[in-house]
Amino acid sequence: MIDNLALGLSHGLMMLAAFLLLKRPDLDREPSPHDSSDTKRKSTEKPRHDA
Amino acid sequence: MRDLAFIAFLLAFFGMGFKRPFLLVLVYVYIDIVSPQRLTYLLLNSVPISLIAVALAVGGWILADDKRDTRVGGRQVLIVLLLLYCWGTTITADFPVEAKEKWDWVWKALAFAAFLPLTLRTRVRIEALLLFMILAASSIIVVGGIKTIASGGGGYGQLNLMVDNNSGLYEGSTISAVAIAIVPIIVWFMHHGTIFRPDWRVKAYCLALVFACLLIPVGTSTRTGLLCIGLLALLSIRNVKRKVAYLAMLGVLGLAAIPFLPSTFTNRMNTIKTYDADESASTRLAVWKWTIEYAKANPFGGGFNAYLGNHIRYDLKTTPGAAEAPKVEVDKARAYHSAYFEMLGEQGYPGLAIWLAINLIGIVRMEFIRRRYRDPDGEFAWVGPLAAALQSGHIVYLLGAGFIAIAFQPFVYMLIGAQIGLDTYLARKRSEQSFRPMRRSAVPSPA
Repeated sequence: MIDNLALGLSHGLMMLAAFLLLKRPDLDREPSPHDSSDTKRKSTEKPRHDA
Repeated sequence: MRDLAFIAFLLAFFGMGFKRPFLLVLVYVYIDIVSPQRLTYLLLNSVPISLIAVALAVGGWILADDKRDTRVGGRQVLIVLLLLYCWGTTITADFPVEAKEKWDWVWKALAFAAFLPLTLRTRVRIEALLLFMILAASSIIVVGGIKTIASGGGGYGQLNLMVDNNSGLYEGSTISAVAIAIVPIIVWFMHHGTIFRPDWRVKAYCLALVFACLLIPVGTSTRTGLLCIGLLALLSIRNVKRKVAYLAMLGVLGLAAIPFLPSTFTNRMNTIKTYDADESASTRLAVWKWTIEYAKANPFGGGFNAYLGNHIRYDLKTTPGAAEAPKVEVDKARAYHSAYFEMLGEQGYPGLAIWLAINLIGIVRMEFIRRRYRDPDGEFAWVGPLAAALQSGHIVYLLGAGFIAIAFQPFVYMLIGAQIGLDTYLARKRSEQSFRPMRRSAVPSPA
């Protein structure tokens, strides 16, 4: 009972955190001065679904 | 039923990982800490989920991750060096079969620790790694905390942490030290988290989790855990603003907690003072003496599990202060009960030196970062407190490691991986900032 409660709580929070991370574009890249010219170019391209 | 829930969880987690490959790294972190295959009876036991997760995590990084300006920290090189050195001592080990058994999980922990910082390219990733480490560990800590309140723990080795085989984080002393080491990181999430914004619910959960962490040494009746709590209280003085109020609060809370502590815990803690009448402590001292002598004869180490060759004699006082002669005990194949002696005996002086370098450089680097980023405002306000938390956690681990053979505890290598990741992330940010003015003056090239 206690085991399942603790497992459920921690796993539920991990699932929620993973779900929230899916919606964070800054998970994979942060704005950088290195890619300023790239981003200008990319802004005219079609947005990626996984970005 | 539990099996199906775990399988559904893992499938969903893996599925999200295919959308965002960094999540596959987190899947491996989760599997390594929680070991769901050990909590289930069927199905998961027969599938090498850990291997699948690590293959997908590395594959995801190779195929899909941005590798521009990838930096390798000096400590990653040291970890690889330690890995190669351990490989060498495993080949020439005193006990080849037993050494191979330990090597089989040690190399994975070291290789993952060397790989992990390469993936930590953004702030959110560093935070996500730490969040998953804490949440995964919390699945054990919450169980231990609730059971301690419900039953008073029941003494060393008695607290049921769901898994019987007493290995990994499920071992009482190890989880005690780790639970206390992560307290500063949990506190950091109460102020600087961005995945779960620190509102009242997050703060309340973090406080409850800190309380559960503090209960683990009580529930498992581990003396090491109590020492770790004491050290953490001392280290925290540096981080709090109102130091006198903090010290007063610690004193009041400490005194108020005493009546609630179970007798199994207080009895065991009293043996700290009478260590020479205690078998566990006396054998430790005898094994450590043996290890020092062994290292003189074998300066390059005896390979993993070299302690199996020891024969020790030690004096045990029957009662402290009694006039009668000490009892002489004889024993063999006693474990090191200390990471420092574990390294010295198994990997010799070079192995111990590399291991100490990996750990001590971490503490120095975090000190450097916390001083450099102490400005409480601005873009990097989160950095100084995070470096302080990682440093405090690491120091607590190094104290716990004095009494537990956890030199290769994978959880700690993930913590070290997070430190290296933070360090290389900040180095990249600094280079970008110095790059900015040059870029402004330059004409954008039609790339």
